Amino acid sequence: MGGPFKRTGDRVLVMLAAPERAVLAQLLADVRTMLSAEGPDDATAADGDPAPAPARERDPLADLVGVDDDWLAAVAAGAGREEEPLDERPASERFEDPAVARLLPDANREDPKVSAEFRRLTEAGLRSRKRATLDRAGAALRRPDPVVLDAGEAQALLKGLTDVRLVLAERLGLRTDQDAEMIHAVLSGMSDSEEPWVVMAGLYDELTWWQESLVRELPR
Amino acid sequence: MLTLSTGGAGCAGQGLPAPYSGRVSVAPVELEQPEVEESLLLDSGWVTIVWNDPVNLMSYVSYVFQTYFGYPESKAKKLMLDVHEKGRAVVSKGGREEMERDTEAMHEFGLWATFQRDR
Repeated sequence: MGGPFKRTGDRVLVMLAAPERAVLAQLLADVRTMLSAEGPDDATAADGDPAPAPARERDPLADLVGVDDDWLAAVAAGAGREEEPLDERPASERFEDPAVARLLPDANREDPKVSAEFRRLTEAGLRSRKRATLDRAGAALRRPDPVVLDAGEAQALLKGLTDVRLVLAERLGLRTDQDAEMIHAVLSGMSDSEEPWVVMAGLYDELTWWQESLVRELPR
Repeated sequence: MLTLSTGGAGCAGQGLPAPYSGRVSVAPVELEQPEVEESLLLDSGWVTIVWNDPVNLMSYVSYVFQTYFGYPESKAKKLMLDVHEKGRAVVSKGGREEMERDTEAMHEFGLWATFQRDR
């Protein structure tokens, strides 16, 4: 079948060269940064990780049950703002970056209130889990040769590849299935071009091929 | 969900052969039932929908439906094709909280999912 991933038992061997793995790890880290940059509540605040509740002390009970800071911050933020009206803007207006809007989409198309309420309760957790997944995949790729992924790492990489491709597709302006199919055709005609769009499209195409290989090698 | 809960109560009732069931009356079950049914009615009737997008691979979408929902390959593939060809597919049905969980999980996989009332 070919492709850079090969299943060996319940593990997956990564046959990408170290520089390729480094590029992929960097892309995963870039998306991770995107998921930290805009706080759950404020599209305009774009300076690093959302500060998790300044003067809040760690809750030992929370430590015991393994609740993380993001979740606590979300709950604290939610509790503190009960009287404030819900921000009912759709993702497209809420986030300056449409790629972030795609990573954290609206969950209800019929009622902005339902969607906003869902977002208030879940967005911080979703961001946090996505970041953890991207970290896990990136850390595995940075190990020395030979890189062998366990089942959890393999799925983390699969999800991470999805998020990276979603972001690249947004940058490339891929809106329809036809757009996506067109990429391949365009590339075959101008593979030596150094136009940024073409370079990025080439990267997208390569990642698509990698992901196809990885998903094929994963047990169901 | 509805079938499971009321079925459970029903089975318990049927499990006691009527002529010999002198020890426990059925009354408590009947008293509880309306309450249970009402909450189930309020809670069911929601769906999770996955929408088509130009990025997610058909193989990956099938993989997600198989691994997250535990659907057999044939069902996962049919749902995936519905998403691809019809633009959307209902991938799960149930109570609102359950559908919210499924939607969040789909977002974690990078699929474009929403939940709404079934109709």
